[in-house]
Amino acid sequence: MDRSEYRIAGAGGQGVVTAGRILAEAAILSGAEAIHNQVYGPQSRGGASRSDVVIATERIGYPLAEEIDLLVALSGEACSRYHPELADRSRLVVDSRCVPTDLRTSDRPYPIVDTARSVSGGQLVSGVVALGVLQALTGVVEAATLCRAVADRVPTRHCEMNLEALEAGMRLVAGDER
Amino acid sequence: MSGAKLVQGNEACVRGALAAGCNFYAGYPITPSSEIAELMVRFLPDAGGVFVQMEDEIASLATVIGASLAGSRAMTATSGPGFSLMQEHIGFATMAEVPCVVVNVMRGGPSTGLPTSPSQGDVMQARWGTHGDHPSIVLAPSSVGEVFNLTVKAFNLAERFRTPVTLIYDEIIGHTRESVVFPDSVDVISRPRPNGDPSTFLPKAAPPDGVPPMPAFGDGYRFHVTGLTHDERGFPTTDPGQAGALITRIHDKVTNHQEEITEIETLMLDDAEIAIFAYGIVGRSAHEAVLRAREAGIRVGMIRPLTLWPFPYHQVGEVAAQVDTLLVAEMNLGQLIGEVERAAAGRSEIVGHLRADGEPITPTDLVAAISGAGAVRT
Repeated sequence: MDRSEYRIAGAGGQGVVTAGRILAEAAILSGAEAIHNQVYGPQSRGGASRSDVVIATERIGYPLAEEIDLLVALSGEACSRYHPELADRSRLVVDSRCVPTDLRTSDRPYPIVDTARSVSGGQLVSGVVALGVLQALTGVVEAATLCRAVADRVPTRHCEMNLEALEAGMRLVAGDER
Repeated sequence: MSGAKLVQGNEACVRGALAAGCNFYAGYPITPSSEIAELMVRFLPDAGGVFVQMEDEIASLATVIGASLAGSRAMTATSGPGFSLMQEHIGFATMAEVPCVVVNVMRGGPSTGLPTSPSQGDVMQARWGTHGDHPSIVLAPSSVGEVFNLTVKAFNLAERFRTPVTLIYDEIIGHTRESVVFPDSVDVISRPRPNGDPSTFLPKAAPPDGVPPMPAFGDGYRFHVTGLTHDERGFPTTDPGQAGALITRIHDKVTNHQEEITEIETLMLDDAEIAIFAYGIVGRSAHEAVLRAREAGIRVGMIRPLTLWPFPYHQVGEVAAQVDTLLVAEMNLGQLIGEVERAAAGRSEIVGHLRADGEPITPTDLVAAISGAGAVRT
């Protein structure tokens, strides 16, 4: 069975849980099986927050991530907690503000949170910018399907801003490749 | 999969309750069950039902019991700290024979413990949390789809047997979103209702199946409701004959119908030398671990009860008679393992894989445990 696992981790208020949910919904729109799991602390604001998404071609047995294929870390705390757990074959995408000293050649820093700020004036769409980066790097779902999933999930009045955030994330990777 | 939607476990509980005809909810939100209250308040009024935000969990279940006595299909949902507060009224509903559904989304305990972390620490409380001799029906789903199905079943069993039914699952199942397709309709069972002359009505006179017909207040039948031991008229008695008959009947109506209540999943037990006993989220880990260990040539299978109580002693005993080792995996420091030992009665070695730190038991953990069990055995 073809199974891949993604983790988006950051701080409460960065849209991490919503982003994971959108990725899983996009996978289902593509005809795949998907599971979304969230981990958060007891605080109502701030604290660590994490979304895990498992995508597979067949019915998913164990629903939790066991070996992450791609980790997106949006905070220093998330990076220092989950980066050491990554397998050798796994990739890290990390926000430029919190790049670890032991970055491997396959790891990629991108200014995800700064991009979110420039699109929306705040951090809330960081998760959606991260989704754009994730899509461009992995192609696990089609860009158009991800756009549809974003539009289905976010409030109508914020749809345009979120789609802009998604495309900005994709452009970060395109710019990197040039 | 056509029509598949990404649905959270707690949402599946609400969908299942609505499909089963739930029309009354009273509760006090608590992590990790709060989505049930949030979605009930959104959907129940449109479905013609009533949602009441209560001041605490004691009042929540009291109100659910009152609504059920008035004819509603009623439920509440909570987590460990609230489940502790509900124990008194679970006993009252058992004694007064009032159908209701209590959902406990388990988090780490004791006390407020780990509010956002999973646990299976309440499975003995679900059996023995309220005082006195009493039967318990407790169902434990292991996936979002199963949360829907077992919520429906919980309502049907509550109504069928006039007793509280507890649906119990952990934070992971409550918060995980999976792709599921809900059925268009479900079978709905309603409580037996009286149809005789109201002037000679005996509210606690039971037919041979042990479940007395139950009118709703307002139906025209007069009846008295009490937590005291009572006779067929529903009034308190200390007569040993009457007291013994009542306690025996409320047990027998459950234990004599275990085949209607008990549901079990088994996997690859035919030639197994080791069997994993697991339930809830750990059942998912066990399933995956069995597949991986089989690839490595280890003869291992799984038994997973969806009905925790009444405990399936007979079915677990049969597995114990067949295998060399039963590996009991649960996210507590050893609760149902004691029941597995009773069921096995010395016919197999019992090994525990127990964890109570707020983290799940993974398939990798269980494959290692299976390999260890095999190594010890040979």
